Amino acid sequence: MNELIKVEQMVVRYGEHTVLDGVDVSLERGEILAILGGSGSGKSTLLRHMVGLRAPEAGRVMLFGRDLYALEEEEREDTLKRIGMLFQSAALFNSLTLEENIALPLIEHRGFAPEVAAVIARMKLAMVGLENSARLLPAEISGGMKKRAGLARALALDPEVLLFDEPSAGLDPVTARALDDLILDLRARLGVGIVVVTHELGSINAIADQVIMVNHGKLIAEGPLADVRAMDNPVVHAFFAREAPHESIGERPIADLLRLVEK
Amino acid sequence: MAGYRDTFVNRPVTGGDSPLPLRLARGDLDPSEAGFAQLKKRILASTKNGAFALDLSAIAEPSMLELAVLARAIDEAEARGVTARLAGWPPGLVHAMQNATSALLSEEAASSPDESVLERVGDTALRAAADWEGWGKYLYDAFNAIAVDPIVGRPWKWDAITEQMYLIGVRGTAIVVFISLLVGIVLALNGAEQLRQFGAAIFIANLVSVSVAREMGPLITAVIIAGRSGSAIAAELGTMVVSEEIDAMRTMALEPNRYLLAPRVIALVFVTPCLTVVSDLIAIFGGYMVGVSMGLGASNYLRQTARALLIGDIITGLVKSVIFAALIGLISCYEGMRVSGGAEGVGAATTNAVVASIISCIAADAVFTLIFYFTN
Repeated sequence: MNELIKVEQMVVRYGEHTVLDGVDVSLERGEILAILGGSGSGKSTLLRHMVGLRAPEAGRVMLFGRDLYALEEEEREDTLKRIGMLFQSAALFNSLTLEENIALPLIEHRGFAPEVAAVIARMKLAMVGLENSARLLPAEISGGMKKRAGLARALALDPEVLLFDEPSAGLDPVTARALDDLILDLRARLGVGIVVVTHELGSINAIADQVIMVNHGKLIAEGPLADVRAMDNPVVHAFFAREAPHESIGERPIADLLRLVEK
Repeated sequence: MAGYRDTFVNRPVTGGDSPLPLRLARGDLDPSEAGFAQLKKRILASTKNGAFALDLSAIAEPSMLELAVLARAIDEAEARGVTARLAGWPPGLVHAMQNATSALLSEEAASSPDESVLERVGDTALRAAADWEGWGKYLYDAFNAIAVDPIVGRPWKWDAITEQMYLIGVRGTAIVVFISLLVGIVLALNGAEQLRQFGAAIFIANLVSVSVAREMGPLITAVIIAGRSGSAIAAELGTMVVSEEIDAMRTMALEPNRYLLAPRVIALVFVTPCLTVVSDLIAIFGGYMVGVSMGLGASNYLRQTARALLIGDIITGLVKSVIFAALIGLISCYEGMRVSGGAEGVGAATTNAVVASIISCIAADAVFTLIFYFTN
């Protein structure tokens, strides 16, 4: 079975506000799926629910064919060990060196001796070009290096699925492109399935095989990148054309309305 | 703001059929004090049969400033019991303002002061119930991490526990010594003043030793630990929440309660009684210094202390210190783990952790004292 992730009819609410409304996602081995959408569209929320951080109000998250939120604790942990996630802020443990950050899951989950884990951590750091920064603390490296170190940590347990939350956010174009190349390289070398939440057109064009687009909590487009780009939907078209879609005056946010009369 | 909202949302907007139209031009909406007074005067002068109408066709595209002046003038007129009608604005602008002010209306409704007492009581009760539910789940998870995990083959993280013991215990010793010495001295000096009047100055030894062992030692230590370590725990965990480190742990199948909460609470429970013993000894030494300086005699003072102090007093104090440690640890971790809202949230959590820890320790101390009083 090639389906690594299957999200079925996910509904997420914060209070009375529905953030995701019946969203379906599917990821196969060796595939790069980009989740697109504007700020606040619910794409990061979707990702967080896919990795077990919060149970959805309705729907199922199937990881490797198992319902993540219906699993017993140990089974759930075993399932989570098969995925790796790079957070938007990298989320490195600030009190640990880069090497220790990567060695931690190896020691805790694989039972490796710290000395052995340290060697493997160095190898993972070498994969992202940080072999010479192993002894540095996260506070001592740049934003781009943090992202790469976070990626090395996500690779620590040799995951079958990698998830990226806005990987190029806050990075300069050259570093962002290097990270895209790294993602493609990882897919080629490891054959993992990859989910990327982003709204960076450059990244989407460079790496995505399949895309889904979320708008106001609903899935408005899905399929191969070329097909989605060609869709008639005005929001999809505006996203790729980088234009704000025309909305009636009544649908504009309040700040826009006030700007309208402030002439 | 309420008036501004009402002006555009609740007021009937008509299309030129105002009974007493007052045509306003651009210069009429003057924000200066004199201009504003003049506008109000004109509005009131145009009022007839409890209503007035404004023809706004000459200012069809008002600026923000003009809108503010207009809204305020209408508010003040309406405060006198008259009804306003607006006319002459393009439908698009009216629609836009209605949408804008509707949004304001819904935002304000959430914190409306007009909410009835019953609604407020209900809201508070629901919030409290949600808080208690959160606390209940937290305590269940904490109990699992501390007491159940070692039984089911997930041993305590001793490296993390010893690190916390060092940070809380060793690093905190100096301040405990300093404060306890001062408390011992102050307690003895205050007692001496009273006891000397009855020729019973030697009983300073009783006063200091018993009160320090049973009450002051554990409480002083708890307050110092709450202020020094409780705040540090809440701030550290809160920062980890904000920087997504806790979420990262969860996605790596590293349960934060096992790796963060349990080591801190366990370290506190081990270290606090030790610091309490230090506090007791130093405070008694402070009393001893005062007693000796008053000429009570070193051996006399020590003999009297040994006579007054029962092993039960010391055990009582140590039992209290364990409870205080658990309270400080659980409260501080809880506050840290539930941080939201960035740096401001971390600050609030830190304050809450210290305040709640100190209050709960003092309340627990009062309960203990009552129990001991009635059982002895």
